[in-house]
Amino acid sequence: MRRRPIIMARVPFGDDTMANERLARTLVELADTLVDDFDQVEFQHRLVDRCMELLAVSAAGLLLGDSCDRLRVMASSAENIHLLELFQLQNHEGPCLDCYLTGAPVSHPDLSLASDRWPLFAPAATESGFRTVHALPMRLRSQVIGALNLFHTDSHALAPEITQIGQALADVATIGLIQERALHQQHVLVDQLQTALDSRVLIEQAKGILAERHHIDPTNAFALLRTYARDHNQRLTKLAATVIDGSTTATELLASAPATTSGQGFSPHPQPDAKDRQ
Amino acid sequence: MTEATRADRVWTVVSAHANSLHVPVSLRLLCQAAAARLPVSGVAVSVHSGRVVSEVLCAIGPLSRELEELQLTVGEGPSLQVLAGGPSVLVSELDSAEQQARWPLFAAAAVEAGVRALFALPLRLGAIRVGVFVLSSDRPGWLPAEDLAEAWVFAEFALRLVLDGLAGVDSQGGDPLVDWLSDSRPEIHQATGMISVQLGVGIAEAFSRLRARAFAQGRPLSELAADIVARRQRFDSKHTS
Repeated sequence: MRRRPIIMARVPFGDDTMANERLARTLVELADTLVDDFDQVEFQHRLVDRCMELLAVSAAGLLLGDSCDRLRVMASSAENIHLLELFQLQNHEGPCLDCYLTGAPVSHPDLSLASDRWPLFAPAATESGFRTVHALPMRLRSQVIGALNLFHTDSHALAPEITQIGQALADVATIGLIQERALHQQHVLVDQLQTALDSRVLIEQAKGILAERHHIDPTNAFALLRTYARDHNQRLTKLAATVIDGSTTATELLASAPATTSGQGFSPHPQPDAKDRQ
Repeated sequence: MTEATRADRVWTVVSAHANSLHVPVSLRLLCQAAAARLPVSGVAVSVHSGRVVSEVLCAIGPLSRELEELQLTVGEGPSLQVLAGGPSVLVSELDSAEQQARWPLFAAAAVEAGVRALFALPLRLGAIRVGVFVLSSDRPGWLPAEDLAEAWVFAEFALRLVLDGLAGVDSQGGDPLVDWLSDSRPEIHQATGMISVQLGVGIAEAFSRLRARAFAQGRPLSELAADIVARRQRFDSKHTS
């Protein structure tokens, strides 16, 4: 059975001036974020959100390679399980892996015809409603540290200028990851990547705690964290650490959630299989 | 990437070492393999301990235990910094004004003992922080980037062995690489957070309990974690275990 597309296709922008203005605004916004001690996780999510808007793609994800050579998701436009599965699958095969190994952009205009190239990935992506895929390298000089993965529900190839903008955003993502101090030292790069990856783990652990305490799903738990961090001008990783050590309670986070979102998104849902446990 | 990833290469080195001695993989074996594989003279693992600041779980090489114990004596040094929750500490030359100023007692004594370079990596997984993995060398200089990346892999394996040991989980004979790829999946860490609430235990113990149950059920960690996140299994009800 064909799954519903994870995100409905957006209308691509047609007007050049508007597009340029949006790009300029985004670059300024992202550059403004890169101050001392900025919030790495929030930055990456914002970057993925901006990819969605500027490139009019249906889904986007930022993947980093770790010391073990695993590609790990740092930020994703949706926490949809099928989308996360598509990212995960690319540890075995797929455009991100090809891009990560070669350092070159990888695209395919029609995934329904790509089963020869990616026998696992292509059918899975097609089943999730995607037709087009792009993987743009995150490069630091000769080293590839990860990839920006873009999906579209249309079979249209991305226009060259859009690929260029995508690459520019991938480059900004790279710059954001590598903090100024010691760019010249290769060993510091390894170190900073590990730290960035670990901050993601910390947030997942905090999401689990919130999800269990308030019977919400992890996606909503993340939205709670993000909203609270923004409202209280806190770094997401720091906030996550305080959720885990108990100094910020789930009740405080819920109390600060806006009424509009708490109405639909954060309502406790019943335990689906309580019966099975009798 | 399914073959010969850095994790595969490191695990091959560790398991070949274990096989050659006809013993199961242990923390000690892992440290021995790291000492043989990497251009260092010592490898040590120190962990948090209830009564004292830290406890040296394992030390390979003539100076590595001394180096750890020295820090406890003088009350300063890279391992203590990492154990206090800090990031990794990488020092290419201890015999420098900068490092002597940083640790006036430790640096001088370490150089005196013959240690010149030192790389202390945290054994951490998100909020789980159990100790420090320390590489030391009698010669100054940086570890090449590839060696440092391998050191992080050794540290990841060490973290799991230490956690299993602390939780009393017998993972011997269990190949950590079986779950290696899926080990990075977000639901594993989400499930860990959920279990810590269900059992009212810390995040490190929750992770060990998750691993123990996956091991006992002979299931991939990620599969069990997905069940926890989807609320098909819990840890606070015997009916589902």
